[in-house]
Amino acid sequence: MDLTGTMLRAAAARPRVLVVCMPGGAAVRMAAERHLRLRDWPPATTPAQADLLFVAGPPCAYLHTAVERLWQDLPAPRARAHVRTADGVLAALDAARARLASPAAQREQEPPAETDSRQPQDRRREQSSDQDGTAGHAFLEEAAKDGERGEEPSPDRSNGRYTGSGSAHSSLKQHHGDHGGEEKRGDGGDAHEDHQGHGGHGGHGGMEMPGGLPMAGQGEDRDGLTLDRLHVPLGPLLSDWPTGLTLRLVLQGDVVQAADLDEEPLVASRPVESFWVQPWLRSAVGEAVGSGEAARRRAAARLDSLGRLLVVAGWPAEAMKARRLRDDLLDGAPAAALASRLERLGRRVGRSRTLLWLTRGLGVLTAQDAQAAGVSGPAARADGDVAARYRQWLTDIRLDVARLDDPSALDPAEESPRGRWDARQPPSAALVGLLPQLLDGTELAAARLIVASLDPDLDELAAHSREGAARG
Amino acid sequence: MVEAGAWWTLLAAPALLLGFAVLAVTADAALTARDAGRPVTVSAAMRPLLAVPRALVAQPRRMPAPDRMLWRAGVVSVPVAAVLSTLVIPFGNVAVADLSVGVVWFNAMEVMTWAGLWLAGWGPNAAFSLVGGYRFLAQGLAYELPLMFALISTATGAQSLRVGDIAAAQYGLWYAVWMPVAFVVYLAGVLAFSFLGPFAYPVGQDIAGGVLSETSGVDRLMLQAGRWLWLAAGAAMAVPLFLGGGAGPALPAWAWSLIKTLLVLAALVAAVRRLPVIRADRYVEFAWVVLIPLTILQALVPALVNVNR
Repeated sequence: MDLTGTMLRAAAARPRVLVVCMPGGAAVRMAAERHLRLRDWPPATTPAQADLLFVAGPPCAYLHTAVERLWQDLPAPRARAHVRTADGVLAALDAARARLASPAAQREQEPPAETDSRQPQDRRREQSSDQDGTAGHAFLEEAAKDGERGEEPSPDRSNGRYTGSGSAHSSLKQHHGDHGGEEKRGDGGDAHEDHQGHGGHGGHGGMEMPGGLPMAGQGEDRDGLTLDRLHVPLGPLLSDWPTGLTLRLVLQGDVVQAADLDEEPLVASRPVESFWVQPWLRSAVGEAVGSGEAARRRAAARLDSLGRLLVVAGWPAEAMKARRLRDDLLDGAPAAALASRLERLGRRVGRSRTLLWLTRGLGVLTAQDAQAAGVSGPAARADGDVAARYRQWLTDIRLDVARLDDPSALDPAEESPRGRWDARQPPSAALVGLLPQLLDGTELAAARLIVASLDPDLDELAAHSREGAARG
Repeated sequence: MVEAGAWWTLLAAPALLLGFAVLAVTADAALTARDAGRPVTVSAAMRPLLAVPRALVAQPRRMPAPDRMLWRAGVVSVPVAAVLSTLVIPFGNVAVADLSVGVVWFNAMEVMTWAGLWLAGWGPNAAFSLVGGYRFLAQGLAYELPLMFALISTATGAQSLRVGDIAAAQYGLWYAVWMPVAFVVYLAGVLAFSFLGPFAYPVGQDIAGGVLSETSGVDRLMLQAGRWLWLAAGAAMAVPLFLGGGAGPALPAWAWSLIKTLLVLAALVAAVRRLPVIRADRYVEFAWVVLIPLTILQALVPALVNVNR
């Protein structure tokens, strides 16, 4: 009896899927989330947990290397799918399941490269930069500084840096990830020889580094203690995180000592059209857009943000309800069909004392500060902390769902999901700009909640750069 | 009266625990299917069990410079501690070993999870995993002392650390009724040492799964199974501690144990979905300022009652 085949087929009946969203891939991501929910294919947050890597949206040269790293890190048996349009999702999922279930396909699959073809020097550089994201204690400030000032940000290098990112895994692991796709349980006994060659990182006082990784540097923390500093990038491929956003954190314990915004992706990503502001973009070029349609899109955008916030807050049950409502809205469901479920969600989440207690006082953004920073949307109207912002979303969603059938034409001055739409000054740009100062001194969990409660849409910025290009 | 079981109970107890854990997993899956708009069927509820073949074919994870031995030890100790804790839990009138310090044994096994999860977070040498390990320690600081006082309340009430004595001391009035604070704190503690639902902080989605983020294959299965085994063990222990053990009219003792365990388990599974993750930075404050004084007062009640008796 073919035991392996049987096991593979059983496992492939419920693969865990790591959905990675490319700039401009929001529609595909949501189609995927919807199908995964209906099929009960649970989401994965790291490559280690995933069977299927699902890349949603148009290919993005800038993220290509990062995606490849994720793929390298997926343990066998595995499959990947790259889907550009929402229509292709179903077929891609079926094909991926077939590949996962087939022993032949798994055997044929090219095993993850154990060593890559790049120059050793590149790899060494990458290693020093990658560690920030990954290895618990693996950071030596000097090493990082070397890296920082050592060379101009060549494309290879900058891509290398992102890999540690998203799901907290490093390119280093890829060298260990797989010793032969055939025997799936290779033992890791001698996985380290690869590193002996460049493990030295000369000039650290001759101290022997565990596994050739540099140790963490130390620094004063906010309580006057001297603690290890970890450099941990968040993004660009972190799950439940704004697509394309990269924040470089300096962590001590789990307190954010500094948060730097990586500006590069904002300009580097290919011009795309933001799914959420489509009605506004179309209305700007003179198309007739109903304000009911815009309200529908806006409500769905805020449900999407709410779902993300709830996942980050660790409430997957309610997050799933929010996302289900979002999918139904985008599907064109009439208001009457949604009202009672929306009401229940509003009660459960909006009146949750626990969630209020957990989010009160985090990321306070007063209306004045918001205005000064150019924020105009719900974040400005909420005039307060994370709790105020998600409650504002819930209020806005209810108002929008009440006017889904509004036939009047969209007034361009009407608020887009993240604020008043202005192609030269997209509302998300102001939100992104606020992040470093809001995150300073927060704990990692709070930092994630703050980002989720603002939920900037970086596709808006890409759309903006396209218009700039068209103008220039 | 509880008595020590024959040799075969040593095998039956883990099997029974596994049965309860599987029931809890399927109940949770059924509730998820309902929320997701999928048909709620038996096969839908059983789908999470596909994680078992999946774990067996999956490639184990290797990281740069992992602490492999400690990682493995941590991963294994979580489900093993859960199984060992059941040795002292009477089912009906039979326990595998009715130790004179049964409550302490249970507590000690539960504290082994601290070490286990911390090592599981430390082992892979990855930032989010490590943060997850730390988080469990912070969470432990918050939940453990109230939980201990809750356990002590029942032991004080029965004037014995033997679980069988505690169950027997409740004739007429369950401890859940006259020690409600201890009962609620105990149930919260069960969720906390199973790191499920509101206490899933060490495996939070905001740190990409924390302790679970770098595990795959059998390692992951062990940790996940450990969570649900602990939930089941905690539910089973609640019965002799707070709900009178196997005592009840008409039905035999084992049937009452079964019914009560299932009810506690159902309540816990429902609670898992009702609350967001309670971050330890907020929960520590609540636990030390509110829960510890409350549980100390609670422990005082049976002490005074016994002094006056």
